[in-house]
Amino acid sequence: MEFPVIFWGVFAWMISWGVVGSVVTRRVYLNKDLDTSNAGMVGSMLGASTGPVGLILLWIKTPPITSRMMLFPSLAAVGVFMVAFAIADPNNLCVVNGSFVASQISNGLIIGIIYGFMALGLTLIFSILGVVSFAHGEFYMIGGMITYFVTTVWFPGINPMIGIGIACIATFAIGATFERLFLTPMYSGKIGRPVEYGILITFGLAFTLQYFVQALVGANPVKAKRFFDFPRIRLPDAADPWLIKTSRGNLELFDTISISNPRFTAAIMCILVFIALMYFLRRTWTGKALRAVSQDREAAAIAGINPDRMNMLAFALGSMIAALAGAMLVQAFSWLPQVGAIPAMRSFVIVVLGGLGSIPGAFLGGVIVGLVEAAGTGCIPDAQQAASYIPAYGMFVLILTLLLRPTGLLGRRFSSATHGKF
Amino acid sequence: MLKKTHAPQMIGLVLVIFFALFPFVYSANDYPYIMHIFITGFFYAILASSWSMLAGYAGQFSFGHMGFMGIGAYTAALVSHYFYMSPVPTNFCTEFAIGDSYLIILNPIGVTSSTLAQDCLKQAMEVWNGSVEVTPIPVWLSITLGTLMGGIFGLLVGALVLPLRAAYLALFTLGFSEILRAVISAEIAITRGQAGIELRYMFEDGITLFGRRFEQTDKLPAYFVMFFLLLLCLGILALLARSKFGLFVRALREDQDAAAALGVNTTRYKVMVFVITSMMAAGAGAAMAHYVGIVSPNNIVILQMSLVVAMAVIGGVENFVAAAIGAILLEFMLEMLRSSFVIGPIEVDMTTWRLVVFGVLLMLTLRFSPKGLLMPIIEYFTRGHIAKETVAKRDEPKMGDASRTESSQ
Amino acid sequence: MIELSVSKLNKRFGGLHVLKDVSFDIKGPELIGLIGPNGAGKTTLTNVLDGAIKPNSGTVYLNNQRIDQLEPFQVAKAGLGRTFQVTRSFRRMSVLENLYVPALALGTEHSKAEIHEKSMEVLEFLTMEHLRNEYAQALSGGQQKLLELGRLLMLNPQVIILDEPFAGVHPSLMKIIYSYIERVNDQGTAIILISHQMDSIFSLCHRLLVLNYGDMIADGPPEEIKRDPAVIEAYLGIDEDEEDEKEGQA
Ligand SMILES: Nc1ncnc2c1ncn2[C@@H]1O[C@H](COP(=O)(O)OP(=O)(O)OP(=O)(O)O)[C@@H](O)[C@H]1O
Ligand SMILES: [Mg+2]
Repeated sequence: MEFPVIFWGVFAWMISWGVVGSVVTRRVYLNKDLDTSNAGMVGSMLGASTGPVGLILLWIKTPPITSRMMLFPSLAAVGVFMVAFAIADPNNLCVVNGSFVASQISNGLIIGIIYGFMALGLTLIFSILGVVSFAHGEFYMIGGMITYFVTTVWFPGINPMIGIGIACIATFAIGATFERLFLTPMYSGKIGRPVEYGILITFGLAFTLQYFVQALVGANPVKAKRFFDFPRIRLPDAADPWLIKTSRGNLELFDTISISNPRFTAAIMCILVFIALMYFLRRTWTGKALRAVSQDREAAAIAGINPDRMNMLAFALGSMIAALAGAMLVQAFSWLPQVGAIPAMRSFVIVVLGGLGSIPGAFLGGVIVGLVEAAGTGCIPDAQQAASYIPAYGMFVLILTLLLRPTGLLGRRFSSATHGKF
Repeated sequence: MLKKTHAPQMIGLVLVIFFALFPFVYSANDYPYIMHIFITGFFYAILASSWSMLAGYAGQFSFGHMGFMGIGAYTAALVSHYFYMSPVPTNFCTEFAIGDSYLIILNPIGVTSSTLAQDCLKQAMEVWNGSVEVTPIPVWLSITLGTLMGGIFGLLVGALVLPLRAAYLALFTLGFSEILRAVISAEIAITRGQAGIELRYMFEDGITLFGRRFEQTDKLPAYFVMFFLLLLCLGILALLARSKFGLFVRALREDQDAAAALGVNTTRYKVMVFVITSMMAAGAGAAMAHYVGIVSPNNIVILQMSLVVAMAVIGGVENFVAAAIGAILLEFMLEMLRSSFVIGPIEVDMTTWRLVVFGVLLMLTLRFSPKGLLMPIIEYFTRGHIAKETVAKRDEPKMGDASRTESSQ
Repeated sequence: MIELSVSKLNKRFGGLHVLKDVSFDIKGPELIGLIGPNGAGKTTLTNVLDGAIKPNSGTVYLNNQRIDQLEPFQVAKAGLGRTFQVTRSFRRMSVLENLYVPALALGTEHSKAEIHEKSMEVLEFLTMEHLRNEYAQALSGGQQKLLELGRLLMLNPQVIILDEPFAGVHPSLMKIIYSYIERVNDQGTAIILISHQMDSIFSLCHRLLVLNYGDMIADGPPEEIKRDPAVIEAYLGIDEDEEDEKEGQA
């Protein structure tokens, strides 16, 4: 970085006005007899983006808070941050090189869709069982492992769909069994603190599964082969391929954006499965029952739905979704028993960011986290350093969300205060 | 006269005497190895018992405990790696006068370039040519600093998590610990990243105790340091648990709003429990770092946190002594299970399977004996008589107006 | 001399105006009933007085000390105690420990032995000594209610608010609660009693406050309230049917 003073100065300025804005705005709104639930969020974002100017205007006018008033200052704050970075580090690749930026963004979007899909499973489990599954990453890992063994080791050349299918069936079964054996006492009030029990028992499952797989397959990284090759396309023509150009493993758009085949196919499959899932949740009886239970357990039970059955289905289905994400990404990354840790934490970030229990929130959160990670890895010049920070980007987002808007972007009122009394 | 309720105390005393005498009595070939297991066991015992205070007593299920341990360890490592005292200024390094001597702070030079020219102290020593004696920061001081740093971060995290409960708290603290690990792995220039940073051994120059000479590699001094720290922690925890602090944090765990309505300053106690337990974790981390001689970001991974959680839960998360004993026993078990064996054609590599066993044990304990495996034994002695007593008391005839109304029902 | 003065309290939840300019005064050890239909804002008023919820505007003074901006624990120390509509005992602490919490929170001028002695007295009064070492979770619902009342005694407050102490309570236990209320009141503590059981309210209280969806529509002696047309329309009119039902069952 050329002028670190500028960057850190602006950063400190934003943080301090953000804190001031958050604290004071809440007070001002309270004193003026107004709704304060999002005042802290608006205040901090406005403070971070405009400093004292916007804050004083806000404190004088105190308009009722709308979602727009949260959105624009937040975007502005991100903008200010980016401008400060650009000024401080004018030679950075992600400042000068437009095509690099475009490529990073589209890759961030694509990977974000996959992240969002994985987080969807977590949200499903949470909204129905009220449990944050700490074993989510392990299901992801197992999904990938099974797919790798089926498609690459045991039956090379087999249709990858079969491998993915086997992975799904296996993880669904594991999830269902685990739920029956270990989560059932939570519902009957036998356990003193069910939420903590849920955390610890899934934590235990994660630990067990991870080392079980490691004991079986060893700790060396493995790599599955690509599921599909792209057909060779040159558009408009081979001599002047500016629109789209594909090789077997890569796709290039406008000569600038390059997307690798495994990620692309994974994202497409995620979208397809997501549509199928949405159909399942909205059109079939079981899906409707699931949603009913997530909204009101007692009412659903009165309507003749067995909530316990739904618990099993939700846990198994949620775990299977994680496994599916793993099965599709095993062709993109090298695979280890420990590979689940980072995606699991990313999923936590995404569901908290999107709002625990919200399905669209999971996707939105996934895309945001994907973009943040792309920006983080792209803009830190030292590659090794950038890679080491990967787990941290999401966690910064998580901590910011928990501090500013614990309900998440699209969250229902599962706010931190009420959750835990589930 | 000895009563049944005193049994846990007696057993505790026996255990303390056992551990105090063990290094003198035991003399098999694997002496250093067994001693190492116990030192590590004590380390985990401090972590598990302080975590049990945090999670079991106060109900704050934090997954950042290993992060605090890491803060202690890295503070100690950085202090012992970068800070020196010298009677004369070097004129090369950053330095501050303290009294008649100078505190020297080395410039960070990372892993790759440890050439002489970049190390300011080496340059100065070359100039002095042996005429000046530079002293490193004493180990006790760096452990103290590590502990304090843990307390500062505990205060920070404790204050930030005030509004968070249950799953959100777990996620926040997990996030904290992961960020910490990422920062340590990434800032290679200062922390040396994954390679780990070396620091002075606890008794770098050996030590003479009661006329016996112990070299740097001898386990006995470190064993007693760790053992002493464990006893200190258990002592503090016992004091806290018996005082109103213990009562209040348990009330807070049970119902924060009700506790506040009865006059308990919940904010203060929540932050305090974070600070105290973080200091314990950080102190243990700093001492362990000085014993092992190197710390790396791998000490803070989730696996380590899982171990502590599992040890505390299997011992009994709602009793810090049970958690501590559980930790020592499980550490012992984990090491004993290391030896691989062969059944017919199958060779079982126990180094990984033992962790599977451990995980299954954790899950089964949670499911079938949520209070842990040791805690029910302690409760049998301390609370076993209560149900009988209640019945006996209820049945004995009573005086008084109101009581008759009830017993007549 | 106890003096609680509440003036112009307002509380909104988003668009919902739950307390509208609520004002009343308590002077001396009065025994006051607070009634109103479900959702009238009684519990919210309790929460605001107790400090758990901050009002949007208005003030509360207890013995000339302003308490509306204080935290609940400060309010408790200032001398205002409350019970919860849904019983909230410390479930995995023994009955005695439940009683120690408020006593220790008050300060350390009393020795442990004194606190223990007082706890035993309270337990005796509540006919629960035999349960003293049991975990609160082992108690029946009614006994947990008694325990909550006992905890309040240990806090030694000047004003207590009881949020529906009779809900789900058998007549025999009710007698204990009655005698509790009378004794505490005789000792010089002001009591605000929230209940839907009109007979209890009318037989115990000297003064009633009626809250109707945020408005304090009446404040006066029970006989007067019974005749107040606004109250009859808002509340009592509906409730008489319920009472008839109860009589029918009995
Ligand atoms: N935290 C809150 N957020 C939003 N609305 C609330 C909150 N607490 C209470 N309310 C609303 O305020 C109104 C008054 O509630 P309150 O609990 O004070 O009624 P109440 O008089 O105690 O009723 P009941 O006799 O049923 O106990 C209700 O409409 C309730 O939905
Ligand atoms: Mg109420």
